[in-house]
Amino acid sequence: MPDRVLELEEVAKTYRVSAGAFRGNRTLRAVNGISLALENGEVLGLVGESGCGKTTVAKLVLALETPTSGHIRLGGRPLTNCDSKEIARQVQPVFQDPYASLNPRKSVGSIISLPLRALKIGAKASWDQAVGEIMEVVGLAPHLRHNYPNQLSGGQRQRVAVARALITRPQLVICDEPTSALDVSVQAQILNLLMRLRRELGLTYLFISHNLAVVEHLASRVAVMYLGRIVEEAPTRELFRNPRHPYTQALLGSVLTPEPGLGLPDTRLGIAYPNPIDPPPGCTFHPRCPRAAELCRKQAPVPRREGGHLVECHF
Amino acid sequence: MDLILEVEGLHVDLPLPAGRLQAVRNVGFELRQGETLSLVGESGCGKSLTALALMGLLPPRASCRASKLFFEGCNLSTASEKTMAQLRGDRMAMIFQEPMTSLNPCYTIGNQLVEAYRQHREASRREARERAVFLLEKVGITAAGSRLKQFPHQLSGGIRQRIMIAMGLMCGPSLIIADEPTTALDVTIQAQILALLADLQQEFRMGLILITHDLGVVARMAHRLCVMYCGQVVETGTTREVFARPLHPYTQGLLRCIPVPGKVEPGSDLGSIPGLVPTPIGELRGCMFRNRCPKALPECAVEDHRLREIGPGRALRCLDAAAADA
Repeated sequence: MPDRVLELEEVAKTYRVSAGAFRGNRTLRAVNGISLALENGEVLGLVGESGCGKTTVAKLVLALETPTSGHIRLGGRPLTNCDSKEIARQVQPVFQDPYASLNPRKSVGSIISLPLRALKIGAKASWDQAVGEIMEVVGLAPHLRHNYPNQLSGGQRQRVAVARALITRPQLVICDEPTSALDVSVQAQILNLLMRLRRELGLTYLFISHNLAVVEHLASRVAVMYLGRIVEEAPTRELFRNPRHPYTQALLGSVLTPEPGLGLPDTRLGIAYPNPIDPPPGCTFHPRCPRAAELCRKQAPVPRREGGHLVECHF
Repeated sequence: MDLILEVEGLHVDLPLPAGRLQAVRNVGFELRQGETLSLVGESGCGKSLTALALMGLLPPRASCRASKLFFEGCNLSTASEKTMAQLRGDRMAMIFQEPMTSLNPCYTIGNQLVEAYRQHREASRREARERAVFLLEKVGITAAGSRLKQFPHQLSGGIRQRIMIAMGLMCGPSLIIADEPTTALDVTIQAQILALLADLQQEFRMGLILITHDLGVVARMAHRLCVMYCGQVVETGTTREVFARPLHPYTQGLLRCIPVPGKVEPGSDLGSIPGLVPTPIGELRGCMFRNRCPKALPECAVEDHRLREIGPGRALRCLDAAAADA
């Protein structure tokens, strides 16, 4: 088994979007040259605000979108050389909303076994048993197999989604905000489940979330995205103790921990989130940055790496 | 501080094919000027329906009764629809979760703000417009004059929520009910919107009812809180006390469920509450939480539980005597 499960090298994805009637098309750089690597057994947290390109990264890795430029390698092999069924065997997603990601007209058993049927993995006779096994692993009672999603609670639905992702025994699971649609007590159950499965099955997660407390709890490394760029990446402990990029600092500062009396943090970010179709020149963060200087307005910073800590800022 | 809202024995029932869903049962609280009260609980605990009952915005099939429902001396439980319509948007305002769906996409921001004002005040368009610009600036929107001509889809989620807040403030209400006002927003924007709400509340001395499931938001915003479970208030107290010494097993469970940076060891198992929330249909007896409660006693299934006062402003609905005496 190769050590490096996933590698992204200067990956970019641009979309053509309409700028309005008669104004032609404009380019939206959803992902603007990012490099990432996931080692076997690692949990990489990908955080950032909505519209920063987190989900586009997920789609690229799942080969649901093809990158405009750059390379993605899965287990050392370029993604473009793999056929879609092979990719699906190795990479599986768990989406945010288990109310939308499960087909309401299929039974739980049928939903979970779909990847096996679609990818023709193993003999037909073994599918039933595989479903039973994986349901036990994710903590679903066996009698639920014949139920339909609308008969399940949110937590159970998300367990079904996890079971469906794991039945092909993938190496890499892309969790796109897997708990943000769930209640607090259920969120804890699903997070505990994901952590147990990682230990037991040796999974690697790309964990996309905007909840920093959850990311700190789960991830071994964290990458912070802003407007299609990774502006900071470091081991979790290091990033949370010593955030270098002003954006990361603001993000960490806005986490509301349940400690009464601390008041509300002042992020000093300003209220304008830039339009991704028309990103600011220079450092894309400068209009919101409390430390912005003349240089930031003119010149985009280049990423600097010190040990395992990568930061893209002039300072 | 002046009392602006008094609620006692509020019940909301929803008829469902499976039976009568007792969504809110015997809920009571008080709210003073300049105070923030938070209703906390998971989905389905009745916190939103409580708010809608106060606003008179319950779905038509729902039935609502209360032994006491006073807002600024006006008895809301006997108020006519016309009186309610006069109060809503004028003396009491509501801010909803989804700023996208609560603004009308067909009208400009200016139109909607001006309408909200002229509905209740005899003011010229110009006066209403001036008031709108004043409030947009108050909620931190720059170039307010030109924003008035924009449509909701041209604005980001954070700005839309700011506009919703400005709209709520147009008539200078004494009560604001915010139902998950920041759940749909990014963390950085969430902190800003909450800070804004808290500032404006202090400036205009409004009472704020904050409905949320996010304990972080509660801790930073609320003076007092009511923890709700299955339509009932299970614990109340000041925010400081409840977070420092949660007494109800449900509150304790909720607090253990969230990872807290610096307090919970990363990677360790989070506490979780086993089991599922029961559906309050049919005859209900005993503690609704007993099937998920680690401290459940046989008596919990039999006796109907009162919300017992255990200190000034502190009440608890739990039989566990040890918890109450501690």
